[in-house]
Amino acid sequence: MPSWQDFQPFIVTGLALGGVYALSGVGMVVLYRATGVVYLAFGAVGAMGALIAWSLINAGSPGWVGWLVCVLFGGAVTLGYGVVFGPALAKRTPLTKAVATLGLLLVLFGVMDLLWTTSGGESRSITLPTDGSGFTIGQVQINWTQVIALGAGIVIALATGLFLRYTKLGTAMRAMANDREITATLGVPVRRVEAAAWLGCGLLAGIAGVLLADLVALDATTLTFLVISSLAAALIGRLRSITFTFLAAIVVGLVQNVVTPISSISNYSDLTPFLLAAVALLAFSRGSVLSRSREEA
Amino acid sequence: MADTAVRAAGPRQRPPLPRPGTGTLVRTGVAAALLLFVLFALPQLMSLYYVDTMIQVAVYSMVALGLGVLVGRVGLVSLGQVAVLAVGAWIAARILFATTQPFPLVLLEAGVITMVIGTMLGLPALRLRGLYLALITLMLAGAIAIILATTNFPNGGHGFLGYNGSLVHIPPIRRPSIAAGDPAYFRYSVVVAALMFVLVLVHIRTRPGRAWAAIRQSEPAALAAGINTTFYKLWAFALASFITGVAGGVYAGAVHYLYSLDFPAQDSIILFAVVLMGGAYSLWGAIVAGLLLEFLPALLQNWGVSADWLTILFGIGVLLTLTTAPAGMADQVPKDLARLGRLLRGLARRGAARRGGPAGVARGDG
Amino acid sequence: MIEVDGLTVRFGGVTSLDGMSVTFESGTCGLIGPNGAGKTTFFNVLSGFVRPAAGSVRAFGEDLLSMVHFRRARWGVRRTFQTEQAIEQLSVFDNVAMIHEHARLRGAGRRREVLDAIGFVGLDADPWASVATLAAGQRRLVEVARAVVGRPRLVLLDEPAAGLPDAETRHLSEVIRRIPEQAGALTILVDHDMSLVSACCQTTAVLDFGKLIAAGPTAEVLRDERVVSAYLGTAEVV
Repeated sequence: MPSWQDFQPFIVTGLALGGVYALSGVGMVVLYRATGVVYLAFGAVGAMGALIAWSLINAGSPGWVGWLVCVLFGGAVTLGYGVVFGPALAKRTPLTKAVATLGLLLVLFGVMDLLWTTSGGESRSITLPTDGSGFTIGQVQINWTQVIALGAGIVIALATGLFLRYTKLGTAMRAMANDREITATLGVPVRRVEAAAWLGCGLLAGIAGVLLADLVALDATTLTFLVISSLAAALIGRLRSITFTFLAAIVVGLVQNVVTPISSISNYSDLTPFLLAAVALLAFSRGSVLSRSREEA
Repeated sequence: MADTAVRAAGPRQRPPLPRPGTGTLVRTGVAAALLLFVLFALPQLMSLYYVDTMIQVAVYSMVALGLGVLVGRVGLVSLGQVAVLAVGAWIAARILFATTQPFPLVLLEAGVITMVIGTMLGLPALRLRGLYLALITLMLAGAIAIILATTNFPNGGHGFLGYNGSLVHIPPIRRPSIAAGDPAYFRYSVVVAALMFVLVLVHIRTRPGRAWAAIRQSEPAALAAGINTTFYKLWAFALASFITGVAGGVYAGAVHYLYSLDFPAQDSIILFAVVLMGGAYSLWGAIVAGLLLEFLPALLQNWGVSADWLTILFGIGVLLTLTTAPAGMADQVPKDLARLGRLLRGLARRGAARRGGPAGVARGDG
Repeated sequence: MIEVDGLTVRFGGVTSLDGMSVTFESGTCGLIGPNGAGKTTFFNVLSGFVRPAAGSVRAFGEDLLSMVHFRRARWGVRRTFQTEQAIEQLSVFDNVAMIHEHARLRGAGRRREVLDAIGFVGLDADPWASVATLAAGQRRLVEVARAVVGRPRLVLLDEPAAGLPDAETRHLSEVIRRIPEQAGALTILVDHDMSLVSACCQTTAVLDFGKLIAAGPTAEVLRDERVVSAYLGTAEVV
């Protein structure tokens, strides 16, 4: 059994990743509450943004241009998808809406493999300027990127919670989660509120893309399917609670990483988000045959 | 409270029992003709490269068939069927290495064990509905993929996992003695696939099929009709898992060597996309799905075009299918076949009339 | 006889049924009330889709709520739904026979019972025809046939006449009136069409905001000023 010291660096990485899962999970929850869509393409969008950033930086652009493009790309693609396919699928079940985002996932996945193929064996990486500097607490080294990741998670979770509760736009989003039609009859510009939700979620996808590309790997498949971890957190938060999504994200990140030094199960550390999400789904399903038609999935 | 059943208001008439309509007979005839063609003519017409491909088409048609039962007939979305295929392949490979049992028996065992696993995982999962069920299948598939990446596939080693990481010469997974060569194995896999299609057909035409139709329409209404929906949903899971397990066994024999790279996570999503596009409801849709999944990429690869274009196409296909026709493209195919049938009948009638046969007035048809 | 005692159902913050206590004696009983009053919720409790927070339902002396939902059809609860339709891919016969198949009723007379039910509702269509080929009114009759086949004890009809033209509503009204004597079942009819309710139901109960506000002979109930004001929202009796 490894010692406390062996665990410490993994606690740090776990917290950092948890922070990114948190901001991703929060983005997905907000979008779901406003539109009923579980954005499964969240990771793919961030992945492609990160790859675009990599290409730009490789071609000589300054770093910040690359990150900005990544974030904006996330926002643009997500907003575009939402504006084009959102209304068309608005009346369908949450299942249909989620499956439709799988279509987007496949398109992005194909494009990524086409333009940034990995069959040549090359691996790409992104480094942020904050990777190099950091500080030490006790025996553990922490770099600023990790701090930013966790910090971003906290800040965005807090800001979103406040936004949803205290702003007009946020309240509108919460109202639409209950009933789109009724909210529309109240005079709320439904399409515009949805667009705001799509845009916000997309920008978060871009931010997550940059951070994960730095903290984990710049690989299309890895980044695309990291959405599972954020999804796990969102599901534990029952696709409703910002607070629980945030806490769940931190737990997912921690457990997944803290397990690493335990050699007997470290290979299975990646099972964490899957198992936690599956447990959450099963625990929170009350087997009632009829549920509220709009909120239930 | 009278204990009487409802009596008919008017005079009772006994309508005749239903007979298979002419449309069904024509469809069966066409299917049989197609099957014979595929079994005997096709291998001669194709190069070995494409024979290999068609074996994969047979395999994935079976997987698509299973998914089609779940999605098209019952309305349950599973985003993890390729993981089930991997499990089936694992089981088959393990048994094939560990024993000298005949190949068909191994296929059956792979199917049954996969079915048991699928049912056990399905039982808690079925408490979930719609989106949550789909998501949990995605989670389970991801979990299986990760486990397989660590345990690897059996390669002739010992122990439960049957994997020996330091083996230099890995033995190939064996095939049935009557079907060692690729064309013969192709015929073998087509026969197995045909049996699976018949199995599904039998289900659809009897009580489970009717119960599934009721559940797909509306679960509350099905419950109100006395249908134990959990039982029938589990049955669908069991059937789909069985078929996919058998397909896994056929796959193992086809490729001889199994790697976890064979079953990437996105394949389950692509499979679902293709089944959706091919038409989850009709059985022909499963064959279309198999062709889209395996034949088309092989064709493109032969022409030097990247298969990524297909991934993109399938993604667009999903979006279009969902926003327009929910049943999928292959719903068109049965309608065309029916028209073909009527045309042939019309021709036959006209031919008989010209020969002075007993057929009466030649009616126009369309 | 169906005895409902103190039935209370809560969804989140909303109390859909609030201490509903009523007895449905026999024959055809109406259940009316404005939208959202809890009528469909009540049916859902009887079907077993919703668990009440409190209260009991005794049907012909037996505790209905302790039965698993899908077994209630076998026991004799039948139901039509507001929106759910007959199953299109199946034939008329298969639709009506579904209860038999799954409720494990005696198979010997099954065919005859199914055909009798189809005749009883006056459905003039080939029993082997696919329901997809039928018009809306005919599909409703298929659903009603499903509800009366075999030996039902409790037939729940949820707005069977919704969206039907007058002629078909009249036909449906005659069919519904005959159910208790032909099938021996207690029938509860929910509908907004007051002429249908008056024509078919000897007694009627009225729900408003989950509470029972009136119950008794139909004609009296329909004249009750509490009922009128519940529907119109005013205290004026027209």
